[in-house]
Amino acid sequence: MKKIKLLSVIIAIVLVISSLFVVLAACDNGPADISEIIEDGQKMTTAELIAKAKEEKGEFNAYGNTSRIAAAMTGFLAKYGEELGLDSSTAHASKQSDSQIYTLLTNEYISSNNSKAASMVMIQDGAQLVLYREQSKILQNYVPSTMKDKVDENDLVPLVHQYINKLFMWNKTGKGADLVVNNVWQVVDDDFMQGRTIYFKSPVNEQVNMNFLIMLTKDEWANKLAAAYKALYNKDIVLDSDCPNAGYQWVKAFVKKASFAINSDTTICEDLNKSDNAGNLGLFVLSKTRDLTTNNLQVAAWKEVENQLVSVNPFAGFMYPMYCQLASNGPRPYTAMLFINYLMEEDGFEPWAEWGAYSTNPDIAIQQGDRELSFWRNTLVIEDASYISNKKASVSDFVSGVIASK
Amino acid sequence: MLNSYELSRGRKFKNWLKNFFTQPANIILVVSLVILGVFTLFPLISLLSDTFKVHIAELMFEELRGSTLNSATGFHWSRMLFSDVSAMYFWKPLGNAVLMSLLSSAIAILYGGVVAFLITRTDIKAKKFLSAIFVFPYIMPSWTLASFWKNFFQNPDIGSGTGGMLYNLLGIKVSEGFVYGLVPSAIVLGLHYAPFAYILIGGILRNMDANLEEAATVLGASRFKIIRRITLPIVMPALLSTFLLVFSSSMSAYAVPQFLGGSSGFTVLTTSMKQFIGYGWYGQGYIMAVFMIIFGLIILGLNQYFTGKRKSFTTVTGKSGQISYIKLKGWKYVLAVILVLLSLFCSVLPLITFALESLCVTPGDYSALTFDFWISKVPVNNNGIHGVFHEPQLWRAFGNSVGLSVCCALIAGTVGILIGYAVSKRRGTALARFVDNLAFLPYLMPSMALGAAFLALGTPLGLNQTFFLLVLVGAVKYLPFASRSGINAMLQLSGEIEEAALLVKVPWWKRMVRIIFPIQKSTFISGYLLPFTSCMRELSLFTLLATGQMTLLTTLLEDWQTWWQQSANALNLIIIVTVLLINFIVNKLTGASIDKGVGG
Amino acid sequence: MPKITLEHVTKRFDKFVAVDDLNLEIEDRDFITLLGPSGCGKTTTLRMIAGLETPTEGRITIGDRVVFDAQKGINISPGKRDIGFLFQNYALWPHMTVYQNIAFGLENLRWKKDAIRKRVDEMLALLKIEQFEKRYPSELSGGQQQRVAIARTLAPSPKVLFMDEPLSNLDAKLRLEMRTELKRLHANTDSTFVYVTHDQLEAMTLATKVCLMDTGVLQQYDPPLVVYNKPNNLFVADFVGNPTMNFIPGKAEIEGNVAKIEMLGKKFLLECDSIDESLAYVEPEKPAEGEAVEGAAAEAVVEAEQVQEEPVDPRRDVIVGIRPEFVRVEQGELCGKIYTALPAGMETTVKLDVNGDVVTSVVFGSVDYPADAEIKFEFVGNGIILFDAKSRNKLGMGKLTIGDKKPDVVEKVKKAATKSTKKTAEKPAKTTKSTAAKTKKTTKE
Repeated sequence: MKKIKLLSVIIAIVLVISSLFVVLAACDNGPADISEIIEDGQKMTTAELIAKAKEEKGEFNAYGNTSRIAAAMTGFLAKYGEELGLDSSTAHASKQSDSQIYTLLTNEYISSNNSKAASMVMIQDGAQLVLYREQSKILQNYVPSTMKDKVDENDLVPLVHQYINKLFMWNKTGKGADLVVNNVWQVVDDDFMQGRTIYFKSPVNEQVNMNFLIMLTKDEWANKLAAAYKALYNKDIVLDSDCPNAGYQWVKAFVKKASFAINSDTTICEDLNKSDNAGNLGLFVLSKTRDLTTNNLQVAAWKEVENQLVSVNPFAGFMYPMYCQLASNGPRPYTAMLFINYLMEEDGFEPWAEWGAYSTNPDIAIQQGDRELSFWRNTLVIEDASYISNKKASVSDFVSGVIASK
Repeated sequence: MLNSYELSRGRKFKNWLKNFFTQPANIILVVSLVILGVFTLFPLISLLSDTFKVHIAELMFEELRGSTLNSATGFHWSRMLFSDVSAMYFWKPLGNAVLMSLLSSAIAILYGGVVAFLITRTDIKAKKFLSAIFVFPYIMPSWTLASFWKNFFQNPDIGSGTGGMLYNLLGIKVSEGFVYGLVPSAIVLGLHYAPFAYILIGGILRNMDANLEEAATVLGASRFKIIRRITLPIVMPALLSTFLLVFSSSMSAYAVPQFLGGSSGFTVLTTSMKQFIGYGWYGQGYIMAVFMIIFGLIILGLNQYFTGKRKSFTTVTGKSGQISYIKLKGWKYVLAVILVLLSLFCSVLPLITFALESLCVTPGDYSALTFDFWISKVPVNNNGIHGVFHEPQLWRAFGNSVGLSVCCALIAGTVGILIGYAVSKRRGTALARFVDNLAFLPYLMPSMALGAAFLALGTPLGLNQTFFLLVLVGAVKYLPFASRSGINAMLQLSGEIEEAALLVKVPWWKRMVRIIFPIQKSTFISGYLLPFTSCMRELSLFTLLATGQMTLLTTLLEDWQTWWQQSANALNLIIIVTVLLINFIVNKLTGASIDKGVGG
Repeated sequence: MPKITLEHVTKRFDKFVAVDDLNLEIEDRDFITLLGPSGCGKTTTLRMIAGLETPTEGRITIGDRVVFDAQKGINISPGKRDIGFLFQNYALWPHMTVYQNIAFGLENLRWKKDAIRKRVDEMLALLKIEQFEKRYPSELSGGQQQRVAIARTLAPSPKVLFMDEPLSNLDAKLRLEMRTELKRLHANTDSTFVYVTHDQLEAMTLATKVCLMDTGVLQQYDPPLVVYNKPNNLFVADFVGNPTMNFIPGKAEIEGNVAKIEMLGKKFLLECDSIDESLAYVEPEKPAEGEAVEGAAAEAVVEAEQVQEEPVDPRRDVIVGIRPEFVRVEQGELCGKIYTALPAGMETTVKLDVNGDVVTSVVFGSVDYPADAEIKFEFVGNGIILFDAKSRNKLGMGKLTIGDKKPDVVEKVKKAATKSTKKTAEKPAKTTKSTAAKTKKTTKE
């Protein structure tokens, strides 16, 4: 009897202690006057920002859904570190996935001790970003005073640091030699795809791939797809009962057709490049092709027939942004703003400066052989964060349903 | 009258309490109960409460639009269990996960158990080599075996459209079901966890009194019948423990089913969970975690039920040297060759392929090889990564990983010994049983969820990005291994040994340090090795906590894998070789080894 | 019917010889005990007969059937040898109830369910463990477990029953009780029993024949009383009997069936039925000079042997074995001091100090003697045994009398006794010198 009594006492203690932690965790100390600081910062010159940043205390941390942020941080420290009193022991940038960044931010936001919290992040998932900016206000937008007039106004709020594109490509050896893709309905057409495979990283595992599919269900793209269908087959598209528009119809056909067997774009690129895959296609990031020693891949958007670019109707792939944001509870907002300024400039963009990555700062030249951001804006599907945020639940259900029935 | 009665009762309780706490075993039990309670129940509670909470990204659902953050909702459960989408997100992945876990448990138990039987009970050849190499697949991260599997069996007609080793060398095309989906996932997991079966079942077989089998032989039972009626029931607790470990590990395995998902994508609970967590839909994601834990608890319960009091399975250690090995005659060579080839296939061949891949100028193309990715002093790619030997990032991560693993192992191992001591001293009491089971709980928590819970626990205390938090989560997660080996070691020790010291008033700590530890040194140290090994190759547990300066080898590996495959392969090889080397050194110095830890 | 024969059975584990060229014949319905110190190969022998261990060489026959023949490659599995085996630790299956444990063997014989029920009930009744039928082994005490193990072994009515120290895990009282029951069981069951033990008392009291082994070699195979009274060698004499036999070192001159012995500082005459000098130690050929024996180490060895060796003395080193019951105290011409007296109620063990040698005597009844008291004693009976000190074999057995003359001249000897004592007392000094001289000589050779 007594043992049971003791046991219950102990369990009670345990519960009290653990609930204490819950209460502690739930303590909300709210954002300071971060929006005012940012408003202030947006008007400052670099020199003024440096002066403010010097006064800040605590570590300067940054998270990015890109490992190159670490290299950018090293460059930043080389440039400003001494002046700001920061070095590699007090300033770090670490690579985290989007969901990890959001989890970390959420935890840091409610923590009273923010000395180690991140002050800025580079993030891809725009759908959640909408909510984190508008609902919980954990993230704040900042536009460098120098960029306000340079950067395309659509890319200012939230601030897009760069775009990365995923393009239709195929192996141009063997039966891929005379392949021409000028309409996206071709890649889901049974006759056209006879004996061919198209590789695409599963949208279940790759957020941006899902976002791309979601974007196609937007009226704008659905209409373009319907027109492209008519252009290819000379007849109006007939929709399945589960597809509200031509966008859904294409998504359904594409998900059914695509192979998700390879789970990384790097491997898709390497494998597609092999002669085994002659004539096969893929939709993956362009930047991976830079490492190939012999490039057997043809980018659909760059296919020329009689010296004329063959445009793919209505898109040759898609493009997703990488955003720069300030964390509301970061200990060093001014340093963060300075860092974002740096990232938006040429030396700050250096770690990403290669094929398939396009700074929104028009002063930064693109890589040899690549195309300008403006070219891609007209040929690719671009994310609309608020549309995706609205439709994510329903369209991802739709996509998952198609995958499940494959 | 009443008063004095009350008084005496109160006094009695006080005396009892005083008496209770003069025994170190009781103090340890109560302290570990409190600490484990906090560190296991808190994650459990927060996990469970998350499934009823509105998280910010869940405002994307029309049903939740407009609701306040963190308010309570039953939406997640109803959507996951009782909606049109529950079949595809939940029930089917659940079915797949259970099927995969059952299959992989069966494979692990069958393969590991048979090898354990052959090594402990027959005169098969190459025993030493086999038992040394058999634990390799556990040391390697499970996805490495998966990627090897794919590279080996792939054929150009399926999946990635390229040929694997088997096809390139022999032109054999295996069916798609053998390369992608349920079957290969289960096989790879089974091979990965077979060392558990080998360690646990082998441990019991080694300690099992050979007379038990001989008694049946004399009574005219056939070899087969002896195995079925005597050997199997006696190793049943080990089989169940293996089943518990392998099943719950497979249930929460993510990398392997994701890797071998195939063209249509093979979904299990973890892939589904990861998808939801990636979208920020924690409520629904954690429901899957809850189910993984529930399955683990059911098996834990079964384990308790079967190893219950009546059929005591304590194995009297028989006369050593009298174990007559089953004569396999010519088969001892045949079986040895088969097993050696099999273990070479899943232990050594992957290592060789990693080594080769790290030398390729272009990944996957063996025609041009270079050592640059190992030894180059200048960056080998445009992101400034040097040859791994000269890469400062790597060595910092190496220091962190080794430091972290050593600390986790020291804490988990020491606490494990203490728990082992206390549980075995107070065997049979409810308190001891409770602590014993509580120490097992963290193992059933999916790593991802446990890491998230510790982040939530540590951040308000300012512990985020600290080494301490990483050590804490690692120690808690791998405590079950250490407490198992602690209990095993203590049960083998007769109480009289300690009592002899007690009578001459040797203080408790001195008894532990000077008497108990030295006697069971190798088993105890083995209890340190398993947490060490597991920590070295753990990713998802640490990934949320290893931010800032705390890069680990595995987080680095994950990062490199997407961009720099040769360097990633070199790094992977470094992790595996480090673990092997440390195990080897510890083994040579102390005689401890991983397989001694759990088996005792 | 089942007579067990072992012919030239040898068992080697790697280089270690566990059992060496064993020949043994076990008659039907015998109760044989295999006796010896631990590691002597007795358990291995038992396990080889049962088929649990495979001999390296030899042939084993049970009844008319050859169950093992190394040359012909015959090796019949234990299950088919129609035997029962009782293990030291009982080896009860922990996951089966008492009933299931006992029934298991019968199931293997494909008995019908009700037949099994009946037989198990019989066994339970025989061993008085009916009430434990549904219990698991872990819920039974040591004695109860033992009974279950016996019941399990007996259930299929094996023709031969092997037991490996089945009582060693029981307490003294229970052991005694079980011993009685085992002997009863043997009487009741018509089976041949082969029983391994290291407890000589158990072996003596239970067996019809004792097989004594040491380091893999058979020492003696005889009925218990023969083993007790006429041990083949010092090992057997020492191992059997409690308190142990007195071993008194001495020198003997053997003439026919009579040995003139000098021991305890006195001269004695041992008259035997026969003395077999062929069992005595024969000096092997001396090693060639400087080959085997060399340097200081060799000298040390030789020096160590000096005390025992009596090179100039033509007499043989012997050990006279006298059972304590043949030492009668409080009368006789020999004199000693009480070292200790250990009264145990029924008898008293008296240890006497005779010029530094200890002589043990057993006196019937409880008598206590004060320590250091002078006491007279004598050697009586016809069972005094003469052993060769080096070969350790028994040379002869007979009656011991004081003096160096035949009984008719005993009186004279008595008178001379005091003189001769003086002489022997002086002797050691001389001996040492001469031995040293001799040793030098031999090494030179």
